[in-house]
Amino acid sequence: MKFTISREALLKPLQVVGGVVEKRQTLPILANVLVQVANGKLTLTGTDLEVELTATATVENGTDGEITLPARKFNDICRALPDQAVVEVSIDGDKAVIRSGKSRFSLSTLPATEYPATEGVAGAFRLSMAQEVLKGLIDQTQFCMANQDVRYYLNGMLLEMKGGQLRTVATDGHRLAISETDSPEVAGEERQVIIPRKGVLELSRLLGDGEAQCELTVGSNHIRVALGEVVMTSKLVDGRFPDYERVVPKAGDRLVTADRHVLRQALQRTSILSNEKYRGIRLQFDQNLLRATVNNPEQEEAEEEVEISYDGAEFEIGFNVSYLLDALNVVKQDQVVLSMTDANSSCLIYGAGDKNSRYVVMPMRL
Amino acid sequence: MQRTILHVDMDAFFAAVEIRARPELALLPVIVGGAAERRGVVAAASYAARRYGIHSAMPTATALRLCPQAVLLPPRHEHYAEVSQQIHAIFARYTPQVEPLSLDEAFLDVTGSERLFGSGEAIGRRIRQEIRTELGLVASVGVAPNKFVAKIASDIDKPDGFVAVAPDQVQAFLDPLPVGRLWGVGKVGARVFERLGIASIGQLRAYSPRLLQQHFGNFADQLWQLAHGADERPVVSEREARSISQETTFPRDIDDREVLRAWLQDLAAQVAWRLRRHGLQGRTVQLKVRLADFSTLTRAQTLAQPTDISDEIRRAALGLFEQRLPRPLPPLRLLGIGVSGFAESHGGQADLFAAAERERQSRIDAVMDQVAERYGRGSLVRGGRRGPG
Repeated sequence: MKFTISREALLKPLQVVGGVVEKRQTLPILANVLVQVANGKLTLTGTDLEVELTATATVENGTDGEITLPARKFNDICRALPDQAVVEVSIDGDKAVIRSGKSRFSLSTLPATEYPATEGVAGAFRLSMAQEVLKGLIDQTQFCMANQDVRYYLNGMLLEMKGGQLRTVATDGHRLAISETDSPEVAGEERQVIIPRKGVLELSRLLGDGEAQCELTVGSNHIRVALGEVVMTSKLVDGRFPDYERVVPKAGDRLVTADRHVLRQALQRTSILSNEKYRGIRLQFDQNLLRATVNNPEQEEAEEEVEISYDGAEFEIGFNVSYLLDALNVVKQDQVVLSMTDANSSCLIYGAGDKNSRYVVMPMRL
Repeated sequence: MQRTILHVDMDAFFAAVEIRARPELALLPVIVGGAAERRGVVAAASYAARRYGIHSAMPTATALRLCPQAVLLPPRHEHYAEVSQQIHAIFARYTPQVEPLSLDEAFLDVTGSERLFGSGEAIGRRIRQEIRTELGLVASVGVAPNKFVAKIASDIDKPDGFVAVAPDQVQAFLDPLPVGRLWGVGKVGARVFERLGIASIGQLRAYSPRLLQQHFGNFADQLWQLAHGADERPVVSEREARSISQETTFPRDIDDREVLRAWLQDLAAQVAWRLRRHGLQGRTVQLKVRLADFSTLTRAQTLAQPTDISDEIRRAALGLFEQRLPRPLPPLRLLGIGVSGFAESHGGQADLFAAAERERQSRIDAVMDQVAERYGRGSLVRGGRRGPG
């Protein structure tokens, strides 16, 4: 195996796949990046056994072959080379030799045959869509994913195809986010998969905001998303996502509409003095007026009054203020609706007129 | 490292707090406790009442027989808890290392405070003085190199006692004391010692460890160490505690399963209440029993999810009690429940997927906490309970 490439052309794919290679690996080969050359094309692969990333680039004078190299060092060497440098990589016995100008590096290698690359994605359903659509679905919900919860199926995001809709759902058990979009391509398909947290975060990082297409291959054990030169393959979480539809409340009889920016800023300010651990906030709703109060163990207090649109009976409810802020941050509309039933039941939050994204936040006993 | 430990014990605490509010009771025999007709027990007795032979944990009915003219007051635990907090605020002036044993008793490790505030003895005297002048209450204080000796020291000159035992005086201090002073000996153990002709700690120290082993089993080791004034247990503030537990030693060994089940319910409620008060939820429930021969058995179960719910703790403990103890059940001298394996608590944060039942139990506990806060613990109890109260 041998190839020549410009530093910049090599660095870009190398940095993409390097992101998934973790520093401390139990298996030495997982600290390596798989380097393959075939038909003038260079393919780099990195994996942590859960999420795999491959990126491709065009090379000059390539002779086919494959090898694995220590990802971190390979990356550091390329970054340290001067701009516009030309890099030549070749194999010499069990070493890889990197030459550029007057520099020469001899790197240890491990055989490519030992590399745990994912084979094809079995039992797959394919669809394609604009990157911005998928990114939207993910970014509207991913902040609700659990992190290292014993309910392992919550440490990820549900991707669901049902009734001609593509939907993402994430929850940590205290709050939940749903975002969906009509998708003629999934008509007739019914499928639920859970993408692990790490896969979701990688995907959100890789997806662009534009109309460029991405191809999804949704299998029974893996999901693969191809974005031009980069392909992400993630294992799926083997578990059952909770019956989320059951916990999305119907419209409550206490309906509050507020200016999202005003409300968000008011909550943001009060949250400064909330209990750092529990983040409790007390909301008192009265005729067209919301009074938000917090206090903390140091006996400090904050209070905000916000003009709202509400004409029901006076009532009071407690929340984790961070959960409310997270939801208010992703709602796109200027007006936000909070729909509540009583102080012990969940609150439904959505942008006024928005049919696609909804947030459910459980209250907190204060 | 040489430590300096204080044991601060409020004298007849509940009774003293009541008398402070109603000075006309000062010289009368005052009992704080549950009503006799509800099988209540004495929670505290003033020193005037103690002269009639009344002591805490005695059934109220018995106490009233001993002293029919005694003034019986219902406990106001929420008020005592407030006063207890004021006492702890005084402790906090001198050290953060405070391990509360109950509302009226605590260990303080002042080893690190001596450079700031003077010797342990000086700190002990200041604390006692501040409790008296600021709160109008009387405390007994023991100062010693460890918890065991500090606790005896605070007790030996009660009420209004102050005893400091220097490290090189520990043995001389312990030797003449009756063996009953050793932790966990109690009445039954005292009888064993009597048979062996051991009256004082000094005599115990001279006794063969091997023979002790025969009479006390594994407990012998602990007795031996305590007799030598050795007690390495650290002062653990509840904030950093790795478990919260509650246990009770019965005046008489009990083998009536119904009574023991009632005690389990009571202990579970107390442990759960303390967990909630500290915003903790634990995953492991431990049942502890001590048999007539002093052997201690512990059985533990790990739950699917961390809890601070009384009923879940009770059921786990009951399961261990029914299934994991020897059969037939020997009489028990001590019963305890502990919860450990703390998880990050979510405060009052409700869960989306929690089973409706769990949510309901949590709300029952919340209501009981609120009632307890307003009217005192024990004013509202779950059905089927026959514990003290």
